[in-house]
Order: sequence, then C-alpha cells, then structure tokens
Amino acid sequence: MLPQSEAIVEIVGLNKWFGALHVLDGIDLSVSSGARIVVCGPSGSGKSTLIRCINGLETYQAGTLRLAGIVLGQAAGASAAARRQTGMVFQSFNLFPHLTVLSNCTLALRRVAGKSRGEAEDIAMAYLEKVRIPEKAKSYPGQLSGGQQQRVAIARALCLNPRIMLFDEPTSALDPEMIKEVLDVMTALARDGMTMLCVTHEMGFAREVADQVIFMDSGRILECVPAQDFFDGAGHPRSRLFLQTIMKH
Amino acid sequence: MSFDLNFALATLQTILSALSTTIWVSIVSSLGAAVLGFLWEILRRTSMPLGWVMQVMIDSIRSTPLLVQIYTLYFVFPYYGVTLPALAVGIIALSVYYSGYLAEIFKAGIDAIDPGQFDAAKALGIGRITTIFLIVAPQMLRNIAAPMGNYFISLLKATPYLAVIAVPEMFGSALDVASDTFRYAEPMLAAGLIFLLLSVSIAQLVKMLEQRLLARGKR
Repeated sequence: MLPQSEAIVEIVGLNKWFGALHVLDGIDLSVSSGARIVVCGPSGSGKSTLIRCINGLETYQAGTLRLAGIVLGQAAGASAAARRQTGMVFQSFNLFPHLTVLSNCTLALRRVAGKSRGEAEDIAMAYLEKVRIPEKAKSYPGQLSGGQQQRVAIARALCLNPRIMLFDEPTSALDPEMIKEVLDVMTALARDGMTMLCVTHEMGFAREVADQVIFMDSGRILECVPAQDFFDGAGHPRSRLFLQTIMKH
Repeated sequence: MSFDLNFALATLQTILSALSTTIWVSIVSSLGAAVLGFLWEILRRTSMPLGWVMQVMIDSIRSTPLLVQIYTLYFVFPYYGVTLPALAVGIIALSVYYSGYLAEIFKAGIDAIDPGQFDAAKALGIGRITTIFLIVAPQMLRNIAAPMGNYFISLLKATPYLAVIAVPEMFGSALDVASDTFRYAEPMLAAGLIFLLLSVSIAQLVKMLEQRLLARGKR
C-alpha cells in the first residue's frame, strides 16, 4: 500500500489517437489520495476517454499511466490488479438487467474477490444502505427509476472497496428531479474522504465538493486549478467562456 | 382407396410407439446444437485467425443440406475408420446442422446487448468466462428466446430425415406402415398430426418462457 499522501493516479505525457483524431494530447495529471477532482469541458474534449484510460477500459499509445503504482496498458495481469483499485460509475448506469440489485452488487464480490455468498450479501447491503436504497435489494434494475439505478451503480462500484471512484457524467442521463439524489450520495462519499475523479457539468456540485477543477478542450488539459480559482473566473479564457455558456441556464 | 378410420387409429398407435425416440433425439440434439452453436459464436468472436476459421465453418455447416451431412457421417466416415451407430449419427448431424443456425442467432443476440454491459463487467474486474456465462448468456437468451424456439421446432420437424439411416423415429415408422400396406393417407396424416401437436406445444412453451424472461428483466 502506498502512503496516504502519494498519488493514486500518476499520468505523464499521455497520448491517444482514434485513427487520425488526437483525443488525448499530452495529458499530465496527478491525483493524490483524498483528492476530489471535477473534470469539465465541451463534448468531444476527451474527458470520458481520459477517465476510461485510468481504469484500463481504453488503451493509449504514448506516455505512462500509473495506477496505485502499477503501470497500466502493459501486462494484462497488472491491469486487472490495478483496475480493482478503481470503481467506475457510468452515464448510462450499466447495471446488469437480468440480475437483482443485490446480485448486481454481489457478482464481483463473489466472482472476483472470492467472498462467500453470505459475506458478499452483508457487504452489498451495507453499501446499499449507504446509498439509501436497501429496500430495493430484491428488485430488478428495470423496476427502478434512473436516479435509483445510478445509486445502485455507485453501491456496486463501492462494494469492491476501491481507492478511487471514477464518475463518467453520472447525472447526464437523469431527469432533473433525480439528479439531486445522486449528487447527494456523491457528496456524502466525498465527505467520507473518498478520492474522486468526476466528469460532470454539475457546477453546483463542483463548487461544493471539488477541491480541484480540470478544464479540458481538444484532448488537452487547459486548466487544472483549485475550485475556488476556477469559479472566480481568473483562469483560461476558453474555460471562462465555457463557464459563462453553461451558467446561463 | 378411401380413408379408413380404424386403420388410422391402429397406425397412430404404431407411430406413437416411436414418439419417445423422436422426442428424446430432438431434445438431446437441441441441447447439442445450442451448446455447439454458443461455442462457435464465442470462438468466432476471438482473435482473427480463429474467428475466420469459425466463420468459414459456420457458413459451411449452413450451406450444405442436412441429408448430405447425414449420409456423409453414416456412409462416408466408416471408410476412414469412424463407424457410428445410426442414432449417434442422427444426433450429431442434427446438432451440428442446427448449431450453424443457432450460432447466427446467438450472434444477433449478443450484438443486441448494450456495450455498456461489457464496460461494467470489465470495470468490476469480472473475468472473461464469468462475463460470458453470467452476463452475456442470460441477456442473449432473453433477446433470442423466440427465434431459438423456432429453430428447436424446425429441428423436431427435421427428425424424419433420420429415417434414411433407419433411426426408429416417428416418420420412419409411418413409412414402414405405408410400405407394408401400400396405404399412405393414414400413416402420413397420423404422423403429421403428432408433429403438429408437438410443434404447437413447443411454440406455446417458448412464448411462456419468453414472457417470463422479459417480465423479470424488463427495462
């Protein structure tokens, strides 16, 4: 285990192309334990690709990406070990529709972490309570609202006890009145000291929770500043323009 | 030659004695076809050379007549030292022939799964085999229950081909009655009727199964 102060994620000179498209262009980023980072930027700026690289869902062509001290994108075994340090929450929830909420949470505990059924269910119920949805344990995802599904997805990711939680636009697919219940869960998670890297355009959440805001455009990090500075509008002109545009409504 | 009801009933009894063979051969072959078809499709999705080989094999299986496959297995393989009893040949031929078709609908069923499911499985560190059997297979089956049921019915209706290698199934026994008596109307009607009842029952069963699967995982 790394000491608390050391970086969980250490990215140096990361480059990725989709064909001719340069989606990640020389990314340098260090995420230390306990950091709460919000990543924003216009669509197509590479935000999602960046966090998908961090848990090995995407490969990259140049640079190094160290996750919990392990270099990702080399040996497949090392990637699997490192990936277990991350919990991922997707825009479209991606719950397993044929499994109950409880089974969604226990599947990886039993098949990956090797827990017994009883142990796995105890852990899963604890996290379902944490996201305030234990009463739906026996329901199927299709019977839940979007907000409920996303909270289950957060619980599912937390079950494996990750050191960093990655959120890929977790509220973008939700109806407005459901956004709050998900953000509340995320805020509580941040208060518990969870390290978080969150792609989101929820600027209220960013202002309240983030200690750092990253602004991306065209595959580059244009700005990586304390949240206060970002909202004070002292930063890069491109990010000020972005902020003005999304704050208008 | 007029239709003789008493003869028809007697024939029906004779044919029914072969019903169990038809049913169990169909069930075993359906299971065999499903297992093989799933295996072909999973292998087709692996790396390039193997995937290409599987594609050629699946196409070959689907593009040759079942009768040719039966005759080859039964009459050609013995020249190369592989002699199998008629029942085994029948089950293997039906399994292989329908595995080609099932591989195709399994492909459609897997393609229809939300790609996010694979992302989620990977992000949770769930291994390949577990993903295939606990995440892909159940969702695939839900997507394709109806067409898969149709192929099982089709397989049942293909068991008469096995009469050519003297597997004692229903059509063969109807044919025996016909060639012994030179009366075709009664045995064919009786055999047709039983196949009709079986096919309709399976179709109902599949419909019920599909509704249950859909109700459980409805989005």
